Amino acid sequence: MTRARQTFGIWLALAPALAVVGLLVGASLAYGVAQSLGLLAILGTSQVSVAAYRDLLDGTGPAGREFWPALGFSLWVSLASTGLSALGALLVAAALGRRPADGTILLMLNLNLAFPHLVWAVALGLLLGQSGLLARLAAALGLIDAPAEFPVLVRDRDGLGIILHYVSKEMPFLMLIVLAVLRTQGTEYDLVAENLGADGWQRVRHITLPLVLPALAAGSALVFAFSFGAYEVPALLGVRYPRTLAVLALESFVNPDLRQRATGMALGLIIGLVTLVVVGLGRAWQRAEVRHDA
Amino acid sequence: MRNRLISLGTLAGLIAAIIAGCGSQPAAPTPPPAAAGKLNLDDWESIVAAAQGQTLNWYMWGGSESINRFVDEFYGVPLAERYGITLNRVPIADTVDAVNQVLSEKEAGTDPGAVDIIWINGENFLSLKQAGMLLPDWSRRLPNARLVDWDNPALAFDFGEPVEGYESPWSSAQFQLIYDSARMGEAGLPRSYARLLEWAKANPGRFTYIAPGPGAFQGTRFVKGALFELSGDAAQWVSHDQARWERWSPALWAYLNALKPYLWRQGETYPRDENELHSLFANGEVDFSITQAIAGAGPLIAEGLVPATARAFVFDDYMIGDVNYVAIPRNAPNKAAALVLANLILEPELQAAQILPEHGFGLGYAIDVTRVTDPAQLAALEAAQSRLGAAATPAADLAGALVGDAAGAYQRLVEDGWREHVLIGTGQ
Repeated sequence: MTRARQTFGIWLALAPALAVVGLLVGASLAYGVAQSLGLLAILGTSQVSVAAYRDLLDGTGPAGREFWPALGFSLWVSLASTGLSALGALLVAAALGRRPADGTILLMLNLNLAFPHLVWAVALGLLLGQSGLLARLAAALGLIDAPAEFPVLVRDRDGLGIILHYVSKEMPFLMLIVLAVLRTQGTEYDLVAENLGADGWQRVRHITLPLVLPALAAGSALVFAFSFGAYEVPALLGVRYPRTLAVLALESFVNPDLRQRATGMALGLIIGLVTLVVVGLGRAWQRAEVRHDA
Repeated sequence: MRNRLISLGTLAGLIAAIIAGCGSQPAAPTPPPAAAGKLNLDDWESIVAAAQGQTLNWYMWGGSESINRFVDEFYGVPLAERYGITLNRVPIADTVDAVNQVLSEKEAGTDPGAVDIIWINGENFLSLKQAGMLLPDWSRRLPNARLVDWDNPALAFDFGEPVEGYESPWSSAQFQLIYDSARMGEAGLPRSYARLLEWAKANPGRFTYIAPGPGAFQGTRFVKGALFELSGDAAQWVSHDQARWERWSPALWAYLNALKPYLWRQGETYPRDENELHSLFANGEVDFSITQAIAGAGPLIAEGLVPATARAFVFDDYMIGDVNYVAIPRNAPNKAAALVLANLILEPELQAAQILPEHGFGLGYAIDVTRVTDPAQLAALEAAQSRLGAAATPAADLAGALVGDAAGAYQRLVEDGWREHVLIGTGQ
């Protein structure tokens, strides 16, 4: 009885927040689904059709032709960014070990968070472009003959510029998470393990890693979901082809041909679906890992 | 070329006359007095009176500080002083934002909406016209519409779409290239697409063009010019004919793919917009940029986007020109003020002011200057023309190379085809 009342109380307390979120997200989601099915009040059509999805998956039509390359490119960019960021954060955690992070490092990590992605991406472009600061510097120092000979680091076909951006932005974010976990965990586990004769690597593998993994996994899921759906960075630092799904979706949506809107919405929903699947797989893998460890 | 244009003009004029004839409303014996919300264009004084005290929400692309200043100074001030209208210039990143605003208002049934007037042309005009969200049958009935040559197909058709009184012209533009006179002499300039290919082969990596696509009409225009030259005739593209497209497009892709290996970064990627191309040009990565301004490189020099030695030039033919317009949404809250602005824009003194780069706008006339009779107005127009300076393409070159744009249907064919055959294609 008390338990039921307790549950009821929790739901009651959550109700206002849930109502707002449910209404806003739910309404936009429903609207998005409707538009992707060709229900466009602007054009006055009321016929439900899955043509937008079919064309994308079949690879027909202007957006469809680019769908599979765009999906592959998006997955590559986001998975590489997430993986490298997480790996970097882990290495830092291992290096810091039980030493508390000093104030300067924390300040720098926090400062990085304060930069909007857009600003960061523009700055990277100005720094690394073929007419950028480094290219000019290299040319002035005589390392290369002309700025244009500078290696292509941004706006490249492999998405290296985009990955570089996400890693430089998201690694500090994940580090903050990892450091926060380590700070609250104290050093007792580490000391016990050391007393029992564990060497440095063993302590990282069996103490630090399991401690930070849940938080790191959650953070990585966030990073993946963000980088997979974000528009501005690939738009600024990417090439005209291949494009990420987000860029393809937005360009379809703002296409003056109103019929392209269904395609844009379908792409948006596919982005959401892929994110859910990848994050779900990540969680399943993480659970299996924890069980395996135990 | 001139002959073709003239006969085209006559044809378009006929078509326009027929359309106007069909579209004109049955003349009501006594027009109702101008009530709130109901405007009578035949009684201009009543419109001016209704506009008094209104705040005009002008949605326009706000990406150029100099254009914003020009608008505030040259339209905002006279609107306030002569008509008691407050100009509220609403800067938007892309005209499609204003289009989406109006379309969302239509979906939501919002009337009156938020937008009074939009700086518009091409695909965005088509979108709103298709959606039935434009105020109909007004632009030819403005007092200053008599200064506009509505028989000119480059003006009566907006990317092939008949204007039909749905929008009123503001200024004109023409595709031109820009070179740096400090880097190369005028004699070495390519003057046709065929010569451009030769030039690119001799100077690999020194040329690129803007990727055609929605929001990058300049790139699409560059490609359309190539199509015109390859097919040897621009006028045939004014109407959409799929068979003609099928016949000529392979040659177009072949030309662009022949050019591709000699482009900046071997055509692996292309600049997204005019600003990116200007910065490549200013950084010395490529030798040509482009502009649409009648004042040539002047406005860009004034903004510091290109070196002071930059000069505009055109090929000998197939340089596409077009007109940009203002349109009033059907649900505009201050239609009278919007009409007053559209009429004010066509005043000869303001038309003369807009072509001068130092005023920050630098686009061409929307009016036909030969229709201006007032001596003071004529003097202002002549003075402005003589002050354009060396950074502009000579007027005779511009006129000699001028062709109208292709029908709107080709826009997507060019953009989608270019992505498929040139950008993604392996280059065969």
